[in-house]
Amino acid sequence: MISSKREMLRIFFSSSVSKLGVALLIILLAFSIYALVAFPPDYGKLVWNNPKAWENYPKSAPPSWVNFFTQSKLFEHKILETHEPVVFKSPDGTIKKLYYFDLDYDAGEFPKFFSMLMKDVRYWKSPPIITLKLMRPDGKTVELTSFIVSSPREGEKPPYSRYEKEPFILKIDSDVNVWRSVSSFLKESYGLSFSPSEIGKDPERFIFGSPIGSNFSSPLKGKYRFEVSVTTYDERDSVGDILLILGGSVYGLLGTDVIGRDIAIGVLLGFPTSLFIGIITSVIVTLIGCLLGIIGGYFGGKIDEVTQRVSDIVYNLPLLPLTIFLIFLMGSSIWNIVLLLIVFGWPGLTIVTRSIVLQLREAQYIEAAKSFGSSPWRIIFKHMLPQVMPFIVAQMIFYVPTFILLEAALSFLGLGDPSLPTWGQMLELGFRNGAIYLGLWWWIIPPGVMIVLTAFTFVLIALGMEPVVNPRLRTG
Amino acid sequence: MGLARTLAIRAVNLLLVLLLVLLLVVVIIGATGTSDRILMSIVRQEVSTYRQAISRTITNPEALEKAVETYRQELIKAYGLDKPWYTRIGDMLKRIILLDLGVSKSLQTFSGSNKVVDLIMERLPNTILLVTTATVLSFIIGLLVGVKLATAIGSKLDRALTYFSAISYALPTWWTGIIFILVFYFYLRIFPPGGMYSIPPPEDTLARLLDLFWHATLPIIVLVLATVGSNIYVTRTVVMNIAQEDFVLAAKAKGLPERIVRWRYIARVAAPPILTQLILGLAGSIGGAILTETVFGWPGMGLLFYQAIVSSDEALILGLVYVFTLVYVIARFVLEIFYVMLDPRVRI
Repeated sequence: MISSKREMLRIFFSSSVSKLGVALLIILLAFSIYALVAFPPDYGKLVWNNPKAWENYPKSAPPSWVNFFTQSKLFEHKILETHEPVVFKSPDGTIKKLYYFDLDYDAGEFPKFFSMLMKDVRYWKSPPIITLKLMRPDGKTVELTSFIVSSPREGEKPPYSRYEKEPFILKIDSDVNVWRSVSSFLKESYGLSFSPSEIGKDPERFIFGSPIGSNFSSPLKGKYRFEVSVTTYDERDSVGDILLILGGSVYGLLGTDVIGRDIAIGVLLGFPTSLFIGIITSVIVTLIGCLLGIIGGYFGGKIDEVTQRVSDIVYNLPLLPLTIFLIFLMGSSIWNIVLLLIVFGWPGLTIVTRSIVLQLREAQYIEAAKSFGSSPWRIIFKHMLPQVMPFIVAQMIFYVPTFILLEAALSFLGLGDPSLPTWGQMLELGFRNGAIYLGLWWWIIPPGVMIVLTAFTFVLIALGMEPVVNPRLRTG
Repeated sequence: MGLARTLAIRAVNLLLVLLLVLLLVVVIIGATGTSDRILMSIVRQEVSTYRQAISRTITNPEALEKAVETYRQELIKAYGLDKPWYTRIGDMLKRIILLDLGVSKSLQTFSGSNKVVDLIMERLPNTILLVTTATVLSFIIGLLVGVKLATAIGSKLDRALTYFSAISYALPTWWTGIIFILVFYFYLRIFPPGGMYSIPPPEDTLARLLDLFWHATLPIIVLVLATVGSNIYVTRTVVMNIAQEDFVLAAKAKGLPERIVRWRYIARVAAPPILTQLILGLAGSIGGAILTETVFGWPGMGLLFYQAIVSSDEALILGLVYVFTLVYVIARFVLEIFYVMLDPRVRI
């Protein structure tokens, strides 16, 4: 038998399997904590599962690092955000705010689309005038559009609020005014005549390209600067966020799914849910299982009879079909899933703990303790538990991946908690949308790798525990 | 006969498990009103058949409606829908056991029937084919590799296996399946993405068999990969523990050839605990089948289960839970027979 806790720890950490497992566990916990701190608890419901929140993102775009492997560089999706504007005040009370957005363009393809978003415009006297200009790397400037925010309606009182609920969206692809300005820009700068409707077929090609002859075939690389100017007539007038969105064909660290959601965020949010389900279920199952096993094994009699019968039956049920059936009837909330995993999970440990306790009960030192008149609970906690503990801990760790995988499987079958983003649900959506048959690997591989890695971490720790529990496996 | 008696007791125990599951299921669907819905849909089905049959003889629409309504009321009485659910427990049990659960809402067999019993019976052999092949393969590989490794504990191969079995345990079958499809279908195009036969299936029997084999390869590999790691690991640990026993040492000291010691002295004793592992893994294999069939579009009960969940088909789900439990109980019993034959000590 192992003498001390320190000795157990030494044996545990002597194997490389345990070291790797613990290192991975620390990483998993770090990601989980980061996800919990960085995202609000209702993020899943409000943002993640809300397609509107992802409108500005490219759909099914691969990660941006695929550019390392492609010959012609793909354009990475850009969302340019507002910085502090440069403000000019005229003596006549006119205030001009200039917002600058810088873009370093080095892709071999044109942006897929280009749009401008503006939120929360508020004015007191006259409606503000807004213009959008683009300064190109070749020194030329295109004035793309200029418009006036809608005037006060009859009976409306100042301040006049615009674009409060729905942001104003200017889409270059469907805005005739922009096409006209581009058409006249081409005439003035290059002497080329393109009709607005010709430009409307692919306006980005003309805005971000320089012609060879009259052919716009490749984008003009270099530093671009967008200028949004807002002219207002009152000190109190204000403009909320302005966003410029340049549609790319690659996005972020892990790409996007069919709705446009950032897969990196989904993967990150999966950490706490997965670990929570695995660990909480495993701890409760271990507590219930061991308690019943110890009580049954030590006291025997009717309690033992009942727990043994029940655990025997529950242990012999086909777990997945029944869980699916019950989740289907009860509804797929995370608590129902945890509850069912507990209900079906405890008997294994009860059976094993009971058999160990049965052996221990006959040991001489237990008999000695009994003869001193120790109470049963004192014997259990003082003399038996320390013996059973390493085994129980090993089992508890070994159960974590089981529950993580079961939750993932339920999610994959469409029975996951819809308010929480989980890896299983990401894979389910990908599978249902045919991501495998379309080769959208960035949607299929990362969530799965995370499931495997999380389960693997606990399997490694459990394997590392084995020499502690079973001395025959010690190698030196 | 000790053997027959032992087996009879095991059979009764397993039947009890089956009955208990059924009872639990019936109580749950009764209390949640699901059984009412299933029976009502059977009633609706029969009423509409009845309406079609009598509409030829009764032409007066009012009389027709009246006759149909009377028939409907009769059926509701006959099915006990006018009484609370717990009065129907016996009847519902019988229905589930005979799979008399009416029709599926949205699914059909290949011959066009939408009865729950036909649907399940059509898919059952496909699942059995897949799971049995995979389980047997995984068992054989586990045994061969495990026994070999037990004599080389701590070697490089053994350490590699430790990692492999950890990964195999941590690999969700369904995700492995998805990755296999991505690699072997999407990129390499050497295996089909799913299904059981090509469309249209080959005419010739041999070509048909080969086609089946071609389609079954990936799902079987996936199922084997999911279980083989723990099979190898358990065999290795059991065999290693036994190899350290005194009687093995004695056999070696006698100078018996390694092969005889390994297979007659060690394997004989190791067989029952290894078989136990197989028995314990059975429930997992059935779960694995549900997921693997879903991923590979293998037309078995697992895929049917997924389709039933997606279309919220209560009657079908109920029937499938029963048949899955039944298959599991029967498979357990078969393994228990082996177990009792291998280990005479468990005979009563």
